[in-house]
Amino acid sequence: MPRTRDGWIATIAFVALFLLAMPPVTHTVWNRVDPTVGGFPFLFVALLAVYCALVGVLVWALRRGV
Amino acid sequence: MTVEPWVVATGLIFVYLLATIVLGIVANRRMTVDMEDFLLYGRKAGFVVLYLTVVATFHSAFAFLGSGGFFYTHGIGFWAAGTWTLLVGAITYVLGPRIWALGKAFGYITPADMLADYYESEAVRVAVAIVSVVFTILYIQVQAQGLGYIINVASGDRISFELGTLILLVVAATYLMAGGLRAVYWTDVIQGVWMYLAVWIGATYLAYELFGGPVELWRQVREVHPELLSLPGPRGFFTPGMWIGMTITLSFGIVFQPHMMIRYYTAVDSKTLKLLGATTPIYLMTLYIPAALVGLGGAVAMPGLEVPDTIFPELLFAHAPPILTGVILAGATAAAMSTLDSILHANMSVLTRDVYQRYIVRDASQSHYVWVGRGIVVALLVVGYFLSVRTFDFLVVLVTLSGSGALQLGPAIVGVCFPGPRTLTRSGVLTGLVGGLVVLYLTLVVIPHPLGMHGGLWALLVNTALAVGVSMVTAPPSEETRARIHGEVEREVYGSPS
Repeated sequence: MPRTRDGWIATIAFVALFLLAMPPVTHTVWNRVDPTVGGFPFLFVALLAVYCALVGVLVWALRRGV
Repeated sequence: MTVEPWVVATGLIFVYLLATIVLGIVANRRMTVDMEDFLLYGRKAGFVVLYLTVVATFHSAFAFLGSGGFFYTHGIGFWAAGTWTLLVGAITYVLGPRIWALGKAFGYITPADMLADYYESEAVRVAVAIVSVVFTILYIQVQAQGLGYIINVASGDRISFELGTLILLVVAATYLMAGGLRAVYWTDVIQGVWMYLAVWIGATYLAYELFGGPVELWRQVREVHPELLSLPGPRGFFTPGMWIGMTITLSFGIVFQPHMMIRYYTAVDSKTLKLLGATTPIYLMTLYIPAALVGLGGAVAMPGLEVPDTIFPELLFAHAPPILTGVILAGATAAAMSTLDSILHANMSVLTRDVYQRYIVRDASQSHYVWVGRGIVVALLVVGYFLSVRTFDFLVVLVTLSGSGALQLGPAIVGVCFPGPRTLTRSGVLTGLVGGLVVLYLTLVVIPHPLGMHGGLWALLVNTALAVGVSMVTAPPSEETRARIHGEVEREVYGSPS
């Protein structure tokens, strides 16, 4: 378990975002083609955005020394 | 005079192979005759080398061939790949520094060293060594088959699958035997850069050549094969259970394989591992973007392929200039070889350290063990070759099976790396491991993926329940061992013992 405030923030943010890349969200909310973004289907772009946010959490944790 | 495309493609692959052998020889000259140097790069790997070897090892023939084939067959659902690559980063961030600290403090070389020390059990050492070798030999098969595919396609069927597999296995074994892990890491640096550029350049070229750009590619996929753009895909493969199962098995399951865990021991310090964890998902995840373009675009441009895994090379041969095809297929070769050499190395380490040094010849010289390791590589090469040419299956399914096996080490590893008031016991982890492997067989082979949930996950659940249950009624490791090992983890992670 995290023992610092930053540790808790990073853990909760990562888990919450990760759940957005998991069923049932993937198979319901994200599971459509429209609206497309730059021609790319919605499902693809939505997941890419979640993945980028997850990388952001890891980098934030690194910078905060978690 | 016009040079035929297959000559250029095959020639470039052979130039690349020659370069890896030269690197192996140079690494050999830098090597000291010492097991830590031969097997662990002297625990001196810095960020750039470690980054490229980790990503190149993680991404294999599977990233180049299997993923394109998967997008081609099952559609956009394979973009789930992003989840397991992100999880690999997070696992490395959390677990990597702990494993590194224990390896450095107590001289561990293999995963079994760490687990046997904590659980005070030679039975645990043997069980972990067996799981490590058995399940990663499947992975040798996957990579060797990928290499066979590549060279067979590159040469326009002039070099048979069997011969191609043999040539590339021999080259990987040669530079490994010459330079040990140093040679593997140095070649992985080239391979990591080459494969990333190759897959991006190849996919972008094909998207513009065939469709005029990615936007039109997506539009045509939507028009011709709309079923490829939604979940669970045209054949119903990407059910929620399968999505979750693949995420777990292809992240934890691959990190727990010896060739990945050994990399944690080799870092120069723990900060390097945290930086690695935070940044590796960028490389790992973005490699699947061009794979999606190849697979989905291929489904429109070249439908009905008998072996979907060959979609990338087939498209290149049909639509790209020979020089580009050659460069990219050499990149595909790099992808497969960078994983293959690491697995050969890991198996060599496990068999030399956990079996030969422990049970056959205990107190020989360092040089003796280095030479035994080289002999083991030759034996692995022979086994890997015969496994590769006798069976032939969809690449990604084999990778999943490999990951599912190593995943069963999870409870034991967590018990070592995460100090707490309660701990698992040797009887608990052994019972869990055996139970998990039995359930794995049942849920992957006898009744595949019951209730739509991945077999590896069923096995992990049973494994964990057994490990925890049996640990509650059996004797834990001694207080002294717990204090020594968990104390080291506490010092590394929190700065002081609890």
